[in-house]
Amino acid sequence: MTFLTQLRGELTKLFARRRTYVGYAVFLIFELILLVTFQIDSVRSQQEEFMVQNGLAADKYFSSLTVTFMVMAFSLFLLGSIYFALVSGDIVAKEVEDGNMRMVLARPVTRFRILLLKFISVCIYTITFVIFVGITGYAMAVIALGVDGGMMAFSPKMRLFAVYPEWGPGMLRLVIAALLIGLSMCTISAVGFLFSCMKMKPATATIMALSILFLDMVLQEFPIFKPYEANFITYKMSSWLFAFESHFPWAKLADNFVFLFGLDLSLFAIACVIFQMRDFKT
Amino acid sequence: MPENKTMMLEVQNLEKSFAGKPALKGVSFAVEEGEIFGLLGHNGAGKSTTLGILLGMVAPTKGEAYIDGISIQKNRSEALHRVGAIFESPGLYDYLSGYQNLQLLTSYSGGVSKAAIDEVVLRVEMDDRIHSKVGTYSHGMRQRLALAQALLPEPKVLLLDEPTDGLDPEGIKWFRDFILGLRKERGMTVLFNSHLLGEVEQMCDRVVILQEGQKVFQGGREDLAEDHLVLHLDLEPTELRASLAQEFGGQAEGHKLILPKTCDPAQLVQRAVAQGGQVREIRPVKRSLEDLYLEFSRKVTR
Repeated sequence: MTFLTQLRGELTKLFARRRTYVGYAVFLIFELILLVTFQIDSVRSQQEEFMVQNGLAADKYFSSLTVTFMVMAFSLFLLGSIYFALVSGDIVAKEVEDGNMRMVLARPVTRFRILLLKFISVCIYTITFVIFVGITGYAMAVIALGVDGGMMAFSPKMRLFAVYPEWGPGMLRLVIAALLIGLSMCTISAVGFLFSCMKMKPATATIMALSILFLDMVLQEFPIFKPYEANFITYKMSSWLFAFESHFPWAKLADNFVFLFGLDLSLFAIACVIFQMRDFKT
Repeated sequence: MPENKTMMLEVQNLEKSFAGKPALKGVSFAVEEGEIFGLLGHNGAGKSTTLGILLGMVAPTKGEAYIDGISIQKNRSEALHRVGAIFESPGLYDYLSGYQNLQLLTSYSGGVSKAAIDEVVLRVEMDDRIHSKVGTYSHGMRQRLALAQALLPEPKVLLLDEPTDGLDPEGIKWFRDFILGLRKERGMTVLFNSHLLGEVEQMCDRVVILQEGQKVFQGGREDLAEDHLVLHLDLEPTELRASLAQEFGGQAEGHKLILPKTCDPAQLVQRAVAQGGQVREIRPVKRSLEDLYLEFSRKVTR
């Protein structure tokens, strides 16, 4: 009960700060831009042409589900990661900087408990953010294109091309994919969290987390690393795309997500050790 | 374990280095239950480090600190159940209301009832603004809120780190009266770290003076004062003061003569007259804690 009360307090803090909502606002604007863009005939015909080239009926597959997939696949990784790194890089470092942490540390609560509460809060933020993007993206797409239609999912990098002629199975895969994106994005938050627990400014923690992420992305594009790309963190984070394969790839997903989960826990453990060793004084 | 059970706070042979630079060098002192105890020293003397160790925020390189007989290094959570703390510029959550701050901070101590929060809020006279955001509070209101959170849930010891810094004279008096009232009503033990020596003088039963990480004095104000007899001596020619002070084993500082406490003022006047001096005025001087502290600091520096 105490833990839940403390978690509620942590979430109250998290969602009482303006910076938490920056990402929500940006994604709403981004989705609104897409909504308006898809009303433009030339843009629409370009998308439809792409589908026809792939042997698909444009009126069926250029749908709200396909657009939602595109919003999530092409924006969450690059744009969303900024906000996950911002919030996670901030969550400990900002409290240390503002002196809040000393007030908390003067209480009979272990440092591990404090960090666990913050880490869970950051993960909740990350997953709910992805779900928010999915729901609002879908809502906007429905306004622009209507409810009906199948779904086309594609990713050249992950060698994925999948179609779902019926709305139901397409929606199911989209929901599963959204949850998996949420889980995979927790890794960015875990990296940001680790830096936040070190002796550095919140902005530095955010930049460090984003640097790690982009370094990983850039390195795997180098020809010498190409054969090993499946071992890179950001590749494994993209494995949620496999959820669209026609035969649900349990083993492949489990393999990648167990790795990511293990990595998140390891980063959390390192963060705890670093935080435990720190001295806090004026 | 400390032997004396009436000791509420005790630090034993504390040593701490930051990046190889010693901040505390074997500091020990003890605070009795119900005592208001001052921690004095210039910036960097080791006051905040000592307080940090007492709150388990700083790990000592050597030594141990106890609260109510419980080692803070070995059983931090148990020890901190007995402590409330206030810092200079308290790190409250500006974007939450005062009430939310109290709820949040006390949740880390296991939570307190709404009635207990309401009672403390009334006590610190914050009831009219407690649901406003802390970002809209004045410095004085923030300190009162910090005091409220420190009093929840019912600590035995208060650790105050420069609590009156930046407060106006009214605020300082309110704070002082409040702390003295707490001691009177609840027998609360208070460790008071402040630069405002006047405040320390008015509130503290005993003080510790730290200088460059070392304890250079521990005791009551009387202990400091009893070492010397201080006289204001208006004398012509003025040069005689220095030689008289030297003759009686003391020293002259302007019109003041700081002499061994065994010195007889009548004898001093006799010697001054015998040497052709004209004594216009002689009276004992009650030195403030500030005088004593500065004098002590100078003595240690020399």
